[in-house]
Amino acid sequence: MRKSLLAIAFATLTTSITAWGATPPDTLVVAQSLDDAISFDPAQGFELSTVQSFNSLYQRLLQSDPNNPVDLRPTLASTWQAGADKHSLTFTLRDGISFASGNPIRPEDVIFSLARVVKLNLEPSFILTQLGWSAHNIDSQLSKVSANQVMIRWNADVSPAFVLSLLSAPVASIIDEKVTTAHQVQGDYGHQWLNTHSAGSGPFQIMRYIPHEVLLMTANAKAPTGAPKLKNILIKNVPEAATRRLLVEQGDADIARNLGSDQFSALQNKPGVTPVAVPIASLYYLLFNTKASPVLNNSAFWQASRYLFDYDGIANGLLKGQFSIHQSFLPDGYLGALKDTPFTYNPEKAKSILAKAGLKNVTFKLVVNNQPPYLDIAQALQASFAKGGVKVELLPSISSEISAKMASHQFDAAVTSWGPDYFDPNTNAAAFASNPEDGSSTLAQRANWHIPELTAATRKALTLSDNQQRAALYQKLQRQVQQSSPYVIGLQARQLIALRSNLKGYQQGMNPDMVFYNQVSK
Amino acid sequence: MGFTVSSITSTAGVRRLIQRLTGSILSLVVTLFGLLAFTFTLSHLSPVDPVLQLIGDHASASTYAQVRHQLGLDQSVIQQFWQYLRQLAHGNLGVSQSTGQPVLADLLRTFPATFELATCALILGAVGGISLALVSVWHPKSWIDHLARIVSLLGYSVPVFWFGLLGLLLFYAVLHWSAGPGQLDDLYLYTLTPKTGMVLIDSWLSGDRTMFFNAIAHLWLPVVILGLLSMASITRLLRAGLLEENSKEYVTLARAKGAGRWRIVWQHLLPNTRSLLITVVMLSYVSLLEGAVLTETVFAWPGLGRYLTNALFASDIPAILGATLVIGSCFILINALTDALVWLTDPRTR
Repeated sequence: MRKSLLAIAFATLTTSITAWGATPPDTLVVAQSLDDAISFDPAQGFELSTVQSFNSLYQRLLQSDPNNPVDLRPTLASTWQAGADKHSLTFTLRDGISFASGNPIRPEDVIFSLARVVKLNLEPSFILTQLGWSAHNIDSQLSKVSANQVMIRWNADVSPAFVLSLLSAPVASIIDEKVTTAHQVQGDYGHQWLNTHSAGSGPFQIMRYIPHEVLLMTANAKAPTGAPKLKNILIKNVPEAATRRLLVEQGDADIARNLGSDQFSALQNKPGVTPVAVPIASLYYLLFNTKASPVLNNSAFWQASRYLFDYDGIANGLLKGQFSIHQSFLPDGYLGALKDTPFTYNPEKAKSILAKAGLKNVTFKLVVNNQPPYLDIAQALQASFAKGGVKVELLPSISSEISAKMASHQFDAAVTSWGPDYFDPNTNAAAFASNPEDGSSTLAQRANWHIPELTAATRKALTLSDNQQRAALYQKLQRQVQQSSPYVIGLQARQLIALRSNLKGYQQGMNPDMVFYNQVSK
Repeated sequence: MGFTVSSITSTAGVRRLIQRLTGSILSLVVTLFGLLAFTFTLSHLSPVDPVLQLIGDHASASTYAQVRHQLGLDQSVIQQFWQYLRQLAHGNLGVSQSTGQPVLADLLRTFPATFELATCALILGAVGGISLALVSVWHPKSWIDHLARIVSLLGYSVPVFWFGLLGLLLFYAVLHWSAGPGQLDDLYLYTLTPKTGMVLIDSWLSGDRTMFFNAIAHLWLPVVILGLLSMASITRLLRAGLLEENSKEYVTLARAKGAGRWRIVWQHLLPNTRSLLITVVMLSYVSLLEGAVLTETVFAWPGLGRYLTNALFASDIPAILGATLVIGSCFILINALTDALVWLTDPRTR
């Protein structure tokens, strides 16, 4: 009897074992870390994993073409018209479109969605408040023109082209006012509810979300851009990259995100798996706090540092596949991005620049995130700077501690990364080449770098409507920053992912939000 | 050993038991208060800015000021602590900044996952550890004694995440004996209704036996890895205790009087080392309940250890305090239980 019971248990167990190795046919299973996820409300969500879901859950009036992100395509709006004063835009909504709830998409929804971002004043709200919008004036800046038209006005001196770029950012997602207000608590514009639910018109909607565990999205057949090909997207929290690799290798996940270069190399030539390095807009750079010591404020030291960064050794050796060499503040793929790479690793040249400036026995402390690839880069820099006679002491910390140190200027130098907030060159220009000295936390402000001329030029670029003129001005700004600034921009990242080979139609662009699941089939 | 359980059922015994219990509850409250005050102070001494962690580097100054006010960080530390205690008295542990959810809901979700893993690992660790220690005392310097020493040495010295990754590679990727990371296959994530938060029990209650076996197929590998860790500490400490006891004169006398090996083990060695045994097993349980963060990370197990670690990195003070409260309570309760068990079973301690 005991033997037969054991046999039954073993048989059942082996039956369940043999069932492993394939994901459900109607479901895309994605293995990634969800530990960063705080909010799925577009008015707050600014973490990688929530931003990556916004294209699936919500739509904007206009959005980047997945194949050519510089091209903004009408999405919920069919057309738009700039006002004669160049401080307004009138959008005409597409006919017969509706949210996942079945509610029609109206001008009131557009007004509600944009106004709540400004009134809630959460992390990504700064993208829209650049237009001079505030909780006090926003209601007067947005108005319904007709049953399918809405007018948007702004006070800031910026061109309609720039406003269109901002309105294509996830923070400008259009939300179902009726559903959201039904879940409003204490005048929070439905924020608490939207943290874990969705009320949009995207190709998917949130079916179930367990924080830091799983996000299950199910198809929205009523999506204005058409129903998606798969029924479900299941995003599992798998915090360890090595485990993600095993899952995709075994066929228990269709996509594994954010692999390290070692996992990526291990998956090359594995049957059934296609490793892909997606170029993304994150730049890795060295930043000096100019007030930390006179040496760190010396432009000769900045110049020497550009020859002590082992660009090729890191991008093509140490972290092969994970980076490309990039030395300007606009990532490749952005309007006006400068592709020149005038600097190479040359310790002798760096030594002569330092000697000419009378700088001897230079030493500085470098704060660095204690996670790969930051620590790998920092260690490579420590070795390459040592060859030029510069001693670098590494101070590994967790990312939140580094942010606090940089905000309070309690650091000498940092090696870190910058990712754009929306698809417009201003997102990086305003960080690297602008310090308005008004409390704005730009990178120039973190570096204590005072640059009134560059700040004014960055501001001026926003007023230009002509893309060629804008691109020319941004190129000039990039050259200036490239030649003399307390930054050494060295690398542009690639996101290493692995897909099951039977997967078709997956698209991922260079900005964090540019993840498209709607055309995926298997 | 003239001890019988009935002796504590007398009135005096009951009174003493009540006194001990009252003392334990008082010490629980005082210790938890001290623990909270200490953790709260430490959290505020941390160089991490919780506001920056929440809103990132790119947000505007007005957003920073608003969020700082919402988190109550513009008040003094004492005021913040007082507010926290007041809310706690109403059963409100606050809202986690890193999940956006009430801390209580997060704890009710993550603690059962850790409890399930820790309890299964402890059972394995205790059974394996006690057996190995007994056999190694039974046959000192035999191969099994060497095995016991190797197991305890390995368990102590090899990092658990490395064991975990190797285990996954061998049993999941190569041999396909384990169902891999996570608590259940994706298929069941749609259908399982959480009742207790423990997948093994929930899947059993659902009536779907295939799901239950799937839960076992996911659970056994992390249990074995953690069980090995627990087994190592239990074997090492118990083996030393048993060997020491084995060298005492009363054992030699018992042997001289012709007592068999089993009789010596069951009637002399084990009863005289029970305090040590209970303490070692309970300590191991506490350390498992604290959450095996590395094992939980490698096996994508949504437990308390990982929740607390994420909260620490994010300087998420409500979540840190909530998790500390749970772990502290476990520690104190298990300590009290250990004391009570030792007191009940070992007359020498009364």
